[in-house]
Amino acid sequence: MTFAERMLKIDRRIIFLVIGLCTLLPLLYPVGLPIKISPEVRGVYDHIESLPEGSVFLLSLDFDPASKPELHPQAISLLRHAFKKNLRVVALTLWVSGTGLADQIITQVAGEMGKESGKDYVFLGWSPGGTAVIINMGQDLYGAFPADYNGKPTKGLPVLQGVANLRDVNYAVSLGAGNPGVEAWYVFGKDKYKFEMGGGCTGVMAPGLYPLLRSGQINGLIGGLRGAAEYETLMGQKGKAIAGMDAQSATHLAIIVLVILCNIFYFSLRKQGKQQGYSGA
Amino acid sequence: MKRETLNVKRRGCRAWVTLLCVFVVALSQAGMPVFAQTDAQTRTALAPPQDVRVFDTPSDGGGSLTVLWSPAPDDSAATKYQLLLSEGTTAPDTAAMKVVAEIPANQRYVRDSKWPWWTRPAAKEEHQFTLRHGKGIELKDGTSYLITVARVLGDDRAIATPVQVTPQPNWINWNQMNNLVLALLFGGIVFYSIGTARKREIFLRRIPGLAAVDEAIGRATELGKPILYLTGAHDMHDPSTIAAAVILGRVAKRAAAYGTDLLVPHRDPITMAVCQEITKQAYLEAGKPDLYKDDSNFFITSDQFSYTAAVDGIMLRKKPAANFFMGSYFAEALLLTETGASTGAIQIAGTDSDHQLPFFVTTCDYTLIGEELYAASAYLSREPVQVGTLRGQDIGKALILGVIGIGTVLATIGVLFDAQWPQVFLDVFKDVK
Amino acid sequence: MIFLRRQVPLLITLITGLVFAAQYYVPHPASEQMLTSATKWLQIIGGFALVLGVSSLFHVHAVKIRRKEAGWGYSFVLYASMLGTIAVGLWSNGKEAVDGAMTAFGWIYNFMMVPLQGTMFAILALFIASAAYRSFRARSREATVLLIAAVIVMTGRVPLGEYLIPISGDLSQWILNVLNASVRRAILIGVSLGTVALSIKIIFALERSYLGGGKE
Repeated sequence: MTFAERMLKIDRRIIFLVIGLCTLLPLLYPVGLPIKISPEVRGVYDHIESLPEGSVFLLSLDFDPASKPELHPQAISLLRHAFKKNLRVVALTLWVSGTGLADQIITQVAGEMGKESGKDYVFLGWSPGGTAVIINMGQDLYGAFPADYNGKPTKGLPVLQGVANLRDVNYAVSLGAGNPGVEAWYVFGKDKYKFEMGGGCTGVMAPGLYPLLRSGQINGLIGGLRGAAEYETLMGQKGKAIAGMDAQSATHLAIIVLVILCNIFYFSLRKQGKQQGYSGA
Repeated sequence: MKRETLNVKRRGCRAWVTLLCVFVVALSQAGMPVFAQTDAQTRTALAPPQDVRVFDTPSDGGGSLTVLWSPAPDDSAATKYQLLLSEGTTAPDTAAMKVVAEIPANQRYVRDSKWPWWTRPAAKEEHQFTLRHGKGIELKDGTSYLITVARVLGDDRAIATPVQVTPQPNWINWNQMNNLVLALLFGGIVFYSIGTARKREIFLRRIPGLAAVDEAIGRATELGKPILYLTGAHDMHDPSTIAAAVILGRVAKRAAAYGTDLLVPHRDPITMAVCQEITKQAYLEAGKPDLYKDDSNFFITSDQFSYTAAVDGIMLRKKPAANFFMGSYFAEALLLTETGASTGAIQIAGTDSDHQLPFFVTTCDYTLIGEELYAASAYLSREPVQVGTLRGQDIGKALILGVIGIGTVLATIGVLFDAQWPQVFLDVFKDVK
Repeated sequence: MIFLRRQVPLLITLITGLVFAAQYYVPHPASEQMLTSATKWLQIIGGFALVLGVSSLFHVHAVKIRRKEAGWGYSFVLYASMLGTIAVGLWSNGKEAVDGAMTAFGWIYNFMMVPLQGTMFAILALFIASAAYRSFRARSREATVLLIAAVIVMTGRVPLGEYLIPISGDLSQWILNVLNASVRRAILIGVSLGTVALSIKIIFALERSYLGGGKE
């Protein structure tokens, strides 16, 4: 077996180790490279910035702990922005396994910003049905969520004053790690009940949502950790996403180097094969 | 007479004072921009909005009214339009009517509304505003309201005569008729194609992924190892899961014929119940009902990564010789296929989850891309109904492609020659889409 | 029996398929109310379906434990953890925290579920790297184009890449917005037509194999 062959059949655990080190080292020794803001992230930021005080902002945290590293910083930044603008925040989740996480995020940011549950924000929790919940909320928000996560009846909450259904929402953002997520909120929510909407998703899903962005079906998209880091930069608050960007830079670079190496070995093997073929002939 | 003379005198005096004031004001504001002078001029001649029409918003679920009015020649951002509303039928003091919306006078035209050309209520340059129930506006179906529009410039306000109207819900959404026509047209094409396929044979392009199904099952049989079949992340609402279940029937039939074990772990209980029936029927049709096991279809969990961990465990312990990934997938795709690749199994994927295609293409031996998943049952069965549907899909695609091509040419002509006429056709296409 | 197993489901499919297709074109509150009721039915059926799933899970693993099949210990762990979580969840009233204090259920959620799920998702990064190394080779012209596009996007999506090659950010944005979005749209058009065609076949009973194969 030649060197190239050996390298092409390298134990994948070595690759895992390289990626592991590329993630760990920048987290321990951060560099802090500047982050450029993309128009899609600015789309969400600018829209929230343009909302008048007291507007209804719906945040659907449609992810579970698995996507926490990417979507948790997005949720934190968005909530900070909404609370800073004194928007009325209506939060919920369509993922049962994300309920606890969503509650933690909202309680943490509301505590930081001095906001009160029921008056400045409400966390509706989770309701079974996935996309059916969106349709039900479009018809009657109180029917879909008769009580909030803490068991308080939603009817009569000051934060929901004048809000009967999704038509009364000024801006909605779904932070989705899959289905139901951004697409479901567009198809069953925005398209039917006509509210403005933006999205956030994991990095792996972002390219799939670009058609929605280009056609104006969503007015902005926060894609993965990079998107979260951009939002943190816009907010002027360094958080976990900015800290993670160095690690992401290093892993991307490592994968590029690996791909280049594998192609060098591949071509050297092909060249050897051809030479052997000629000599054989 | 006296009084008249006095009046004339007073008027003359007032005119001089006014002239003097205007002169002083003009001098003091000489440095101000031109629009400020225009405002001052218009202030003296503020006319109320013309030709105000109000009607129940058509094609909606009620609780909404649409107001139209003609634009004034001097509409600018400095001038505002206010929409005034009051409940009841008797005309109140218009000045006391509730202001429900205020917009700059150079905004909100018919052309900005998203109504298609076949439901557009007036010429594109007319003003249009749709009032909806909610956000501080109360509009009840069946209740009469008086609505009017006021033109506001600074402190001056000119109000048009109120119009009485009653909001009502409608039974048909005419704005979506394009969708219905296209659906019926496409349905017609599909039925026609099925009819054609029943009369004569239609050529089907070879899909390598499906041609490999037999090879994969054969390999599993030779090695005496099971076949693993996944139906994806969605439930039976999703057509991709239905397509996956349909293909499962064909795969199960061949697995039964070869006597190979089949493992179908599920994320959705209803999909599991449906797939149990399909598998049972497939074994019956293959003449091997005794080989059928109820446990071949089993539920794991609906949680994404717990399911992935369990299936990866099955792959590593039972080492299936063939893995089928059909249906819809998310981040678990690569975790599943990469583990499958490490066990040396032959892997065939079929998905409409375009965001996961790069991972499937990289790690699987064959991948059915997009609608190939839906074409699979036609390919495997060669039934006229299935093959005809495929032909129908192709005709539909050709039509869409044709319109895209024409649209691109027209848009390019419009840009190259700075022509406006292609825009008319492009608008028609845009609304019909 | 065949009537109940075949004709009745097909008739229900035909009627509900046509009614709900028509519902899309009817904006009247009555039609919206019908849709809401139907979605509530789906939620209820979904709840009952979970019983079906859990009973299947219990059955499969009970058989494994009874027969002492290979890996039956895992089945035992599954039983113990499932029953344990249900008990703790009921005891904590399904809440992870009460007045800021973590419940036992919250402890399971935070210190077992969160790290386990995070670990599973993190493995994705490792698998992407190993899959890229193994398969991303310039075997043909098409593969070479893909390879170059991938390298540009990977470079342009991180600050280090943009710092080293400033144009990579704009280039990757262009690839995502123009090339990627247009190709995805093409795939979506095909998928959507396939979906509509399959729906038509199911509504008009031209496709029945989802009921259990066969052509009566």
